Amino acid sequence: MNGPMNRRDCLKVLGLSGLATGLGSSRSQAQNVGESSGFQSSVLASHKVQSGWANATLVNGKVIQPQRELTILDSTDVLVVGGGPAGVVAAIAAQRAGANVTLVERYGHLGGLWTGGLVLLVLGHIVQGGKQVCQGIGEEIMGRLDKLDGAIIDRRSGVNPTVDAEAVKYVMVEMIEEAGVKTFLHCWGVDAIVNDNAVQGVVFESKSGRQAILAKIVIDATGDGDVFASAGAEFEHRSHNVGLVYRIGNLDRIDKDKAGDSPAPKRIGAHTPVPGVNWVNLRGPEVDGLDVATLTRMEMSHRKYIWSHIQKTRQTPGYEQVYLMETAPQLGVRITRVLQGLSTVSLDDLKAGTKFPDVVGVGGSESGNHGPWQIPYGALVPTKVENVLAAGRCISAEIRMADLVRLIPNCFVTGHAAGAAAAVAVQDGRRPRDVDVAKVQKILTEQGAYLG
Amino acid sequence: MWPFAAGTNSLRWVPSLSPFVAASAAIAARAVPVAAGLEIIVGVAAMLRRRVFCRWVCPTGSCLEGANWLGCRLKRNPGRWPSMGRWIVLLTLGGTCLGYPFLLWLDPLALLAGVFTTFGLAAVFALTILWPGAWCGRICPLGAFQDLLHAGFAPVRSLFVAKRDGNAEAGLSRRVVLGAAVGAGSAGILCFAQRNDTPAIRPPNARTGPHFLGLCTRCGNCARVCPTGVIEHDVGGHGPASLLTPVLSFRNGYCREDCTRCTEVCPSGAIRLLRVQDKAHVRIGLPRVDEEICLLSDDRECSECARWCPYGAIRYVFSETLYCLTVQIDPQKCNGCGACEAACPTKPRKAIVVLPA
Repeated sequence: MNGPMNRRDCLKVLGLSGLATGLGSSRSQAQNVGESSGFQSSVLASHKVQSGWANATLVNGKVIQPQRELTILDSTDVLVVGGGPAGVVAAIAAQRAGANVTLVERYGHLGGLWTGGLVLLVLGHIVQGGKQVCQGIGEEIMGRLDKLDGAIIDRRSGVNPTVDAEAVKYVMVEMIEEAGVKTFLHCWGVDAIVNDNAVQGVVFESKSGRQAILAKIVIDATGDGDVFASAGAEFEHRSHNVGLVYRIGNLDRIDKDKAGDSPAPKRIGAHTPVPGVNWVNLRGPEVDGLDVATLTRMEMSHRKYIWSHIQKTRQTPGYEQVYLMETAPQLGVRITRVLQGLSTVSLDDLKAGTKFPDVVGVGGSESGNHGPWQIPYGALVPTKVENVLAAGRCISAEIRMADLVRLIPNCFVTGHAAGAAAAVAVQDGRRPRDVDVAKVQKILTEQGAYLG
Repeated sequence: MWPFAAGTNSLRWVPSLSPFVAASAAIAARAVPVAAGLEIIVGVAAMLRRRVFCRWVCPTGSCLEGANWLGCRLKRNPGRWPSMGRWIVLLTLGGTCLGYPFLLWLDPLALLAGVFTTFGLAAVFALTILWPGAWCGRICPLGAFQDLLHAGFAPVRSLFVAKRDGNAEAGLSRRVVLGAAVGAGSAGILCFAQRNDTPAIRPPNARTGPHFLGLCTRCGNCARVCPTGVIEHDVGGHGPASLLTPVLSFRNGYCREDCTRCTEVCPSGAIRLLRVQDKAHVRIGLPRVDEEICLLSDDRECSECARWCPYGAIRYVFSETLYCLTVQIDPQKCNGCGACEAACPTKPRKAIVVLPA
């Protein structure tokens, strides 16, 4: 509610609050805590006015957050923050390698931008000549999608497949549970717990309030580098296109006679496993994907554009039945924070085909027009802060490599590497920078990863 | 690469030995080219002693020795060949005057070093087996050019050498006029026919337009040393005068930012020497984007041309009106190397194509 409150608003608020007070008091009087009410809802706890609760307060025009103790929700070996392609693969890899793993994800589903962002086309698992470089747990996910009906199409060699987001969410839940990874959804990591320059865990905000999870090693698979940034690691803050993907339906009801020879309208996207449904990409302007006002502006602007674009498409003869099915729950933020790692993935190394002794993965190509490129372990390790590893799009990579690093299969690969390395670090009681990379490579190979 | 595995410089030296190539280049460039300088020695030697280069140095001639021997062993009775070398020389130099060096590529050294190495040398071999001596004596323009030098120098030489050759051609001047006139006339017609043809993309630091066509030996040195294989021989895409000259095609590669090899091996100065540090500022062409087929106009996830541009000349700019990204090329940074075109994934036509500047 913007602007000054008018009389009607004021009456509404008063009326509603009165009603709420009345309901609350009568309910709590009628029933004790923990007792079944016989309805679909029970009282879990009854809160009276509390004393000693330390809210943020306004002190001399500044909002001050008081010191307070947080509940420790969990204590684990490896904590993976972010349940996208990198985080899920990292969690499974570390758990299979013998570590106890906890995975937290800010949304109510796994898959990150792959599912929530409706990035359904899986680009980047192949290189020039059609060779598939993304193997291991990432390929296992794809293999499970193969077995499901209507989960994935275009699974031929040398071709980029397209998935169904719901199938991916389902498969990821299945695999995470089978691996035995403890998972918390609806948890937004907000702060790293740091002692002596070493990360000890992460603080989360959720409907349960602010809580902490302690861990020996934290894998930052947030995409935005939320954990390493708050822990004080060196990073680059970059802008990139922020878009919003959407799906449109009824493409199987295009009246071809009516459409005639006139060219098909542009931006009607590409096919998906669901018949008659296309997914449509949107690049959007190059902005700061960390600025909340910008994100809001993008979300609103894109919605207006998408709606008008679909109306225009519907005016094309033959396309009258096409409709906007859904917009992605997540805004398409491509790149924000990028770690400054012990080593950095560079385009010159890609061109030269550089082999790294500490290779932990091989990246693929966007359009199959170049060869494989090795990812050194150092690209996951921050230069300064200890006990945290990066995975996914925020690993250390120069700007011209960002669009390759952020591809889904390449996120699988770096996630897999981070998971295996974290498990080795926990087992040997070492800092990530001191990990025996040969051991990591051994685990990765055993888990089916391709290291070139 | 056979027969010059020693490095790229040996390639430059081979056609540079030819005073015929040098004379043609000098006419085309309207200046004496500062090439290796060795061709002057060869030329002076030819003036003093008849065909001394052919006897002692010519690598093509040496290669043909075996064929000669074989041809003689076969005891064929070769018919008499007309002496064509002189006409080739006159036609070529006359043509060069008006911008097209007709048969310069028949120079035995250009032939050996260049585009015809495999086929040309094989053809000359076969010819020599069938008609021993026909190439060296009757066709080879370099041999004929040396003869011309020798004959032309006869009056001067007689001052030093006691015995006159008695070999100086009578009516040489008439032939010179006739041959050169035919060459110049045909070249003029050719260049006139050429004027409306599509310009080609030439190697970096190449001379432009008719100047290039007049200078280029068609020896193929540049194409041979190009590490990315983007220099191809024109097979008729850019008019008759451009035939066999080097043209750049970026479908599968680009002109590397760290390479100037083609500029180092050009024997005639059609491609001028270029330093690596100057390469970014020497325009080869300028790319143009076809918005209709560019993946960005369909909001697809592609960033190839910008990623592969070695000079950071490409940016994607969001258009509020189109509500999609458009490719923006900075002509100040771009030199037309073709990395964008090579990387562009659209098929069958590339959305970004380098055009002649």
